[in-house]
Amino acid sequence: MLAEETHRHDHAEPETQQEVLLRVSGLKTQFRQDGRTVTAVDGVSFDVRRGETLAIVGESGSGKSVTAMSILRLIPSPPGEIVDGEVLFDGKDMLGLSDEEIRKMRGSEIAMIFQEPMTSMNPVLTIGRQLSEPIQVHRGGDRKSLLAKCVDLLRKVRIPDPENRVKAYPHQLSGGMRQRAMIAMGLGCDPRLIIADEPTTALDVTVQAQILELLKDLTRERGTSMILITHDLGVVARYADRINVMYAGRIVEQGSSGDIFKHPKHPYTLGLMSSIPRLDQPSGTRLTPITGQPPDLSNLPSGCPFHPRCRFAEDRCRAERPPLTQVSDQHWKACWIDVNKP
Amino acid sequence: MSTNHNDVLLDVQDLKVHFKLHGGLFGQKQTGTVKAVDGVSFQVRRGETLGLVGESGCGKSTTGLGVLRMVEPTAGKVTLDGIDITALNSAALRKARRRMQMVYQDPFGALDPRMRVLDIIGEPLLIHKMFKDKKDYKAQVHDLLERVGLNPNMADRYPHQFSGGQRQRIGIARALAARPELIICDEPVSALDVSIQAQVINLLEDIQEEFGLTYLFIAHDLAVVRHICDRIMVMYLGHVVEVTDRDALYENPQHPYTQALMSAIPIPDPEEEAKRGFDRSLQGEVPSPLNPPSGCPFHPRCRFAHDACKTQKPRLMETDTGHQVACHLYDPAASDINAGDVMEDNLVRAG
Ligand SMILES: Nc1ncnc2c1ncn2[C@@H]1O[C@H](COP(=O)(O)OP(=O)(O)OP(=O)(O)O)[C@@H](O)[C@H]1O
Ligand SMILES: Nc1ncnc2c1ncn2[C@@H]1O[C@H](COP(=O)(O)OP(=O)(O)OP(=O)(O)O)[C@@H](O)[C@H]1O
Ligand SMILES: [Mg+2]
Ligand SMILES: [Mg+2]
Repeated sequence: MLAEETHRHDHAEPETQQEVLLRVSGLKTQFRQDGRTVTAVDGVSFDVRRGETLAIVGESGSGKSVTAMSILRLIPSPPGEIVDGEVLFDGKDMLGLSDEEIRKMRGSEIAMIFQEPMTSMNPVLTIGRQLSEPIQVHRGGDRKSLLAKCVDLLRKVRIPDPENRVKAYPHQLSGGMRQRAMIAMGLGCDPRLIIADEPTTALDVTVQAQILELLKDLTRERGTSMILITHDLGVVARYADRINVMYAGRIVEQGSSGDIFKHPKHPYTLGLMSSIPRLDQPSGTRLTPITGQPPDLSNLPSGCPFHPRCRFAEDRCRAERPPLTQVSDQHWKACWIDVNKP
Repeated sequence: MSTNHNDVLLDVQDLKVHFKLHGGLFGQKQTGTVKAVDGVSFQVRRGETLGLVGESGCGKSTTGLGVLRMVEPTAGKVTLDGIDITALNSAALRKARRRMQMVYQDPFGALDPRMRVLDIIGEPLLIHKMFKDKKDYKAQVHDLLERVGLNPNMADRYPHQFSGGQRQRIGIARALAARPELIICDEPVSALDVSIQAQVINLLEDIQEEFGLTYLFIAHDLAVVRHICDRIMVMYLGHVVEVTDRDALYENPQHPYTQALMSAIPIPDPEEEAKRGFDRSLQGEVPSPLNPPSGCPFHPRCRFAHDACKTQKPRLMETDTGHQVACHLYDPAASDINAGDVMEDNLVRAG
């Protein structure tokens, strides 16, 4: 195995550089409430390359959604604020754009698909109206061509009978269909990046599979990149090329999907993997839960924030925060311990 | 957990729960009927865990509630240890309920926010007069708290002071209080984070062993169900479509719906996933139970559907592999194509 080098993940590889669509560096987002400051995202750096799917996994409250919303500058302020970092989309500095410019990016270049479609759709407008509006704003077109485009989009997301469904209101569609209509809305302007935050959590297994297959097809056909936020490790294994594991607002492990599933290096990632029952393991296997509770983000433990729950923790872990360190070609971890040592 | 007890604790025969929907200005007009559970039969043996799976709205919770008569069944018979639950008057029912408890999905909604944990967990003791004096009451609650991994000095707190996983433990402690024989767990871990899920699953396994409990375990996560259940029942739109032993169900699903369900579950291993592929044959969504399809409820989404499936409801019958399946493909009397086609097709896809 490679000797572990201790330096920060600094995007040094030249051959991948040209493929990078989104580069997030040192992102830090805080919320101030009742005199306390919650650092929801604490110095997060990662790249999304063209055509790839990057998954973000981690427990509830680890900062997955806040990371996504920070990229699109959707953080409610107050109480929230992006206090540090840089977000480059195709070289453009997202945090420096005017409100007008960022609004343009949201509808056209970057699409966001939320967990609960009912709250992000307008209940009094037909599906067709909601689909065509952003297209008209960003791309223009007359009524007839817009309608044709909408029907086409609904067909792409496999909504049956699209000619009639464009006239339907959101409540007239089932949950699965609404979620697909949301995806259609996101795709209207051929975005280059899709950010999908738990896009299928509220859906049934078979419908979930249909929708994720659909998104995967789109990334393949059009070279669209995707950030997929999910707590389902099975979904990650099936659809992600690379993975960010987040804990307490930080990336604790980062790498290719193959590497991370085969050789998890961070005790938290190991914990996540051994705490789920798996269909590919003997059915009697006892689960190994991660003990304890997620930390209070306004009052993090000293050193490594995971140390109170970590069975490998040593003195150094309680005193010093481990930086994100490269362990092999495509794999980084923030941990002092070598978990593979016997 | 072994399953060589053939002693039936719970016997459910042809259970139906229909909800009448009312419209009109004063709700006086009946506008439709939801056949949430429509002729479900099954047995749960003492000490075993029977899993109940199926997609949202297929009638899993309603089946559980119907068994406990927390909603009144429209028809059918429920027998617990020889006692006909469906025939009991309300006083007798209250007594019988001591023996069957429920753990709910939502650890946030299921606990009364104004009650202290002491009284939430102790309430069943009170209802069934199961303590000597105040001291004994407290001691029992403290024992229960300890048993589910909570600190007894938390007894004076209120539910909002606990995390999701802790609240689910409180719900479990409450269900255990009356020393029941059967616990119906309705999605007990679905609302919990993965890391906390494992803690609660292990707890359920431990107390089953310790108290000799029988579980009806409702869930939609098939990996969790496989982990904890001995036998599994698959429901679709108010009907049972397949019942069999855990391993048989996962290794050799027979009903086309069960097969599609299995292929839809991703496995957390990228290499396995790349090999496995996804069965794209299942299209469309679960139809509305207000307007269910004729014949076999699954036929509009089934790629093996033939004429008989559109008109005749298949009965649940034992196949030669020991599964109980409700599908015309396995019914020699009803079929013009046969199970051989399904098997062959699976071999092609697997190969
Ligand atoms: N509007 C807000 N005001 C105050 N705090 C917030 C706000 N939004 C998020 N937070 C805090 O930021 C932290 C990270 O939240 P985030 O929503 O990113 O978690 P997540 O990883 O997406 O979790 P989940 O899996 O539950 O969606 C949490 O501690 C949360 O309480
Ligand atoms: N009180 C009620 N009145 C009318 N319809 C009802 C009532 N309770 C349930 N239903 C309907 O009965 C059907 C079965 O519901 P049930 O809650 O049993 O499904 P489930 O399988 O538990 O689903 P989930 O996985 O979403 O919990 C659904 O169509 C539901 O809308
Ligand atoms: Mg979130
Ligand atoms: Mg339910």
